[in-house]
Amino acid sequence: MTISATNPPEREASRPRGRAGGALSSAFLKRLPIFAALFTLTAIFGLWQIASARGWAPPVFLPSPERVWKAARTAMEVGYANATLGQHAAASLGRVMAALLATLLIAVPVGFVLALSPVGRGLLDPIIEFIRPLPPLAYLPLVIIWFGIGEGSKILVISVAMFAPIAISTAFGVGSASESQIRAARSFGASRIQTLRHVLLPAALPSILSGVRIALGAGWTTLVASELVAASRGLGYMIQSAAQFLVTDMVIVGILAISLFAFGFEILFRLVERFWSPWSRRR
Amino acid sequence: MSLLRLRRASLSYPAGGGGSVEVLRDVSLTIRRGEFVTVLGRSGAGKTSLLNLAAGFVAPSSGAVEVDGRPVSGPGADRAVVFQNDALLPWLDAAENVAFPLRLKGVGRAARLERAARLFRLVGLEGHERKNLWELSGGQRQRLGIARAIAAEPEFLLMDEPLGALDAMTRDRMQELLLKVWRASGAGALLITHSVEEALFLGTRVVVMEPHPGRIGLEEPLDFSSRFLEGASARALKAEPAFIAARERLIAAIHVEETALS
Ligand SMILES: Nc1ncnc2c1ncn2[C@@H]1O[C@H](COP(=O)(O)OP(=O)(O)OP(=O)(O)O)[C@@H](O)[C@H]1O
Ligand SMILES: [Mg+2]
Repeated sequence: MTISATNPPEREASRPRGRAGGALSSAFLKRLPIFAALFTLTAIFGLWQIASARGWAPPVFLPSPERVWKAARTAMEVGYANATLGQHAAASLGRVMAALLATLLIAVPVGFVLALSPVGRGLLDPIIEFIRPLPPLAYLPLVIIWFGIGEGSKILVISVAMFAPIAISTAFGVGSASESQIRAARSFGASRIQTLRHVLLPAALPSILSGVRIALGAGWTTLVASELVAASRGLGYMIQSAAQFLVTDMVIVGILAISLFAFGFEILFRLVERFWSPWSRRR
Repeated sequence: MSLLRLRRASLSYPAGGGGSVEVLRDVSLTIRRGEFVTVLGRSGAGKTSLLNLAAGFVAPSSGAVEVDGRPVSGPGADRAVVFQNDALLPWLDAAENVAFPLRLKGVGRAARLERAARLFRLVGLEGHERKNLWELSGGQRQRLGIARAIAAEPEFLLMDEPLGALDAMTRDRMQELLLKVWRASGAGALLITHSVEEALFLGTRVVVMEPHPGRIGLEEPLDFSSRFLEGASARALKAEPAFIAARERLIAAIHVEETALS
């Protein structure tokens, strides 16, 4: 057959490109945001260094980078507040991951119901809109009264914070499957379950992933609150223990550890998104 | 011999204020396997509604839609649909898209990809099997959509302006391709189009719909497509006096109400 002439060679040429001699400068331009970000980080670090060296603020308010680094090594090697930094981090990470898994199991199906059933949406919307804007510190006491101070309560508090972002972005993602995609599948004999599995779920996947990203952010935010009460391990617990004795360098170590984890997960999820749903950024 | 039949089918949609608007009234149409019925009509005449009925996406408010005398209760693999916007699944590569109906039937990966490879040859896309959808042109994607519908091995192929988004050159080639694919599949075809030439060239029968409420105004048998498949040149056929006369007649039929209004 001789019909394969509408083909992609023009595609190469149509990509926006710098003109002659633009190769180097366009590579530079592309990385400019990264350079800018590095600049900000260096500037903050430098300012911190100078401020503490010149004694602009007393060490108890602003310990020097060296002292923070030393505190970090102490926390890692000897431990602080009953456990090493690694153990604190593992405890916190465990809570956030357990909460994420539990939330996914409930919030994704809820998202499907929101998207597919008007009645279900009516039933669930008030609950979600009620939970969504609540600050974790507001419902923490109630969770403790109801469920005690065990590990379950901590995970529940984090889960509550993760619920709305995942449910809402799942619903949004399910809605992104087009009517004609669904109808075409049905006309090839897809059952309702198959349509769910082979059309709606894959269509929703990129949204679910960004919902998880947002939820993880909320999870880290809530972590410290959940470890306020009766924790014996965890980064939030470590920060609060240190704060009670004004061990500011250890407080900063805890903060940096949390932000490092949060940042690590953000990067990880962006990579997963790119790998798992490269099509979502092409539409 | 399979038969898809609309029997005095009407379709109403609920309208504002508790009433309803009648979109199709008493539409009767029969499509046999091996037939190619093309549907013309002005925008809003109810062409897509007719296809939705035939596909089982909507149920008639009165009358019946039947396959071989059995009422249609919903969409099914015997009636595969091709849409204007190809409705492909971007998370699957080209081959898995074409093989999608086979996957729904539980055909294993190796077997379904082998079947898909044959369909790629049929629509002239061999070598593009492992491409992502965004690496393909509009015409190539539309061919995938057609190959995918054929993969379902349907008794009937229902197409809503499948070539509407293509440029004129690609469209002419795709019409010829479509005829060959249809002939090879043995299915009955229903194709909606805004192009009178396309309807004349592709159809073994053409139907013109009139609006408000949608109904069939004119139905004529055609022989241009069978002559093309017997070896006549497409350009020569489209230049024949008989073709041109039919074209003028259909244009007049489509616009008869507009003329009456003005
Ligand atoms: N879901 C719906 N609810 C209410 N009215 C509808 C619905 N779908 C279609 N209609 C109405 O039915 C009529 C016929 O629509 P239809 O889509 O079948 O026309 P068409 O011939 O396919 O038009 P086009 O050539 O523009 O695609 C139109 O007046 C339209 O407004
Ligand atoms: Mg239409």
